[in-house]
Amino acid sequence: MTSGRGAAAPATPASVGLLRVIDFGQVTPLRSQTLWHAVSYGVSGGQPATLSFARPSAPYVCVGYHRDLAEVDRDYCLAEGLPVYRRMVGGGPVYLDDGQLFFQICLPAAAVPVARLDALRLLLAPAVAAFRSAGVAARLDEDGEICAGDRKICGHGAGQIEDAVVVCGNLIERFDHERATRVLAVADPAQRAETLRLMRRYVAPTPVDAAAFQAAMTRAYAQALGLDAAPGKLTATEELCLADLDDRFTSADWLDGPRRASRQAARQVKVRAGVWTVAAQAGPAKVVASVVAGTVHRAWLTAPGLNGDTAAAERAVTGVPLPEVPGVLARFGEPGRQLAAAFAGADGKRI
Amino acid sequence: MSHPHHAGLPAQAAAGAESGRGAGGLLRILGYPLALDRQYQPDTHMWVLPAGPGLVRIGMDALGIETSGTLAQLSFRAAGTGLAAGRPFGELEAAKFVGPLVSPVTGTLVTVNEAVAADPGLAEQDPFGAGWLIEAAVAGAAHDLPGLLADPDEITAWFAGKVEEYRLSGVIAQ
Repeated sequence: MTSGRGAAAPATPASVGLLRVIDFGQVTPLRSQTLWHAVSYGVSGGQPATLSFARPSAPYVCVGYHRDLAEVDRDYCLAEGLPVYRRMVGGGPVYLDDGQLFFQICLPAAAVPVARLDALRLLLAPAVAAFRSAGVAARLDEDGEICAGDRKICGHGAGQIEDAVVVCGNLIERFDHERATRVLAVADPAQRAETLRLMRRYVAPTPVDAAAFQAAMTRAYAQALGLDAAPGKLTATEELCLADLDDRFTSADWLDGPRRASRQAARQVKVRAGVWTVAAQAGPAKVVASVVAGTVHRAWLTAPGLNGDTAAAERAVTGVPLPEVPGVLARFGEPGRQLAAAFAGADGKRI
Repeated sequence: MSHPHHAGLPAQAAAGAESGRGAGGLLRILGYPLALDRQYQPDTHMWVLPAGPGLVRIGMDALGIETSGTLAQLSFRAAGTGLAAGRPFGELEAAKFVGPLVSPVTGTLVTVNEAVAADPGLAEQDPFGAGWLIEAAVAGAAHDLPGLLADPDEITAWFAGKVEEYRLSGVIAQ
């Protein structure tokens, strides 16, 4: 990913060993994205490691760098006045509003392990410490999610922007589960309802004091990185970059996303790592299911010829690990084979 | 980039007791497959295999892929795009981290492996074969490109060192 404008000037000797902390406060939805992207270009160009915070002044929707815009219900967003932007880090389409305080930690890429899993864990660990400092029993689970118990409490995404690595996350003070589900393009009512149910079950707000959380974040990142935290602001070059980014992020080309291959047709929605829903079809057979930790949690099956066996087939697959589903459905004859083919489109690992 | 504990050792010795030759002529180094018929960029785990006069095939080795996390997305620059060694020819997304696919060569992107773009799992299943990423036209001898490891002993020592490094840091399982 490249900038439309040259990056910031090299860091001065005084900035070495410094963690620049920028609190952008409440900003427009667009700026809640473009400000930290401008910081990333600045850090790539030699500005010091930077921890930034921003809160959007109005709700909007943001899609991850690679994700298909068709995953968002654009008509609903338009009707509701929700802008849609594409970010340069990963993850799926998300709903953002002023009940969420967003943070970004950005470092020179050379200061971050090349192994991405290593980098993510290292850069999320201070955020976990800050949550704990604020009184939340947070942990980084085996899937790399910041959780309390089995509920996700912080959405995150990460990326390398030129020669800087940035990891973003949020403190969710309030969360509108219904709207977070509604902005997604999910045609099947059963899948939509199940997604909302799981969203409520597995995504939890942690309404702690935001100022205390910010202070804890600053301490945790400064300590973990061995840097001295100091308040800062954008450089003049970063301000110029910001103007470019404002243009880029509001252009149709950018919103369309990068060139990528078309993927299979199953509609899958991730609620948190290991928890997702799927609607898939194979010929006349249709499957709607939720999957938790690799096992079918609930299923709604439709296939000609299944007739009175529908409920039995749904019960049979419930609680079954996904790879074993075809074997279970085989005893339902041809309809079972058709349903197994529909299930084959489900691959929660790559949502 | 050679690991100090292995530098200078013959390939098999550096690979250690767990190693051996597996299916498809791949060597197994501490549990990971490695092809010795190609060159490697040691910082990025990209491999480069001559694929014809002035043409190379490029992919990522199994260790580079595993330490990225489960591949969710791959995107590539269009055919005809100029490539510079050390600069991106596309992006990889794994574990919600979008990072550059860094070109190990300077040249021109000729072909994108559309199969791997549609199914990034191919790169995990067969990183040295069907999971290749792009083909590129390069100037000069495709078997001796600047900045790449080409000697099998050097490659083996580097790779074994990386496996140990990632295991010690907990990035991959012991």
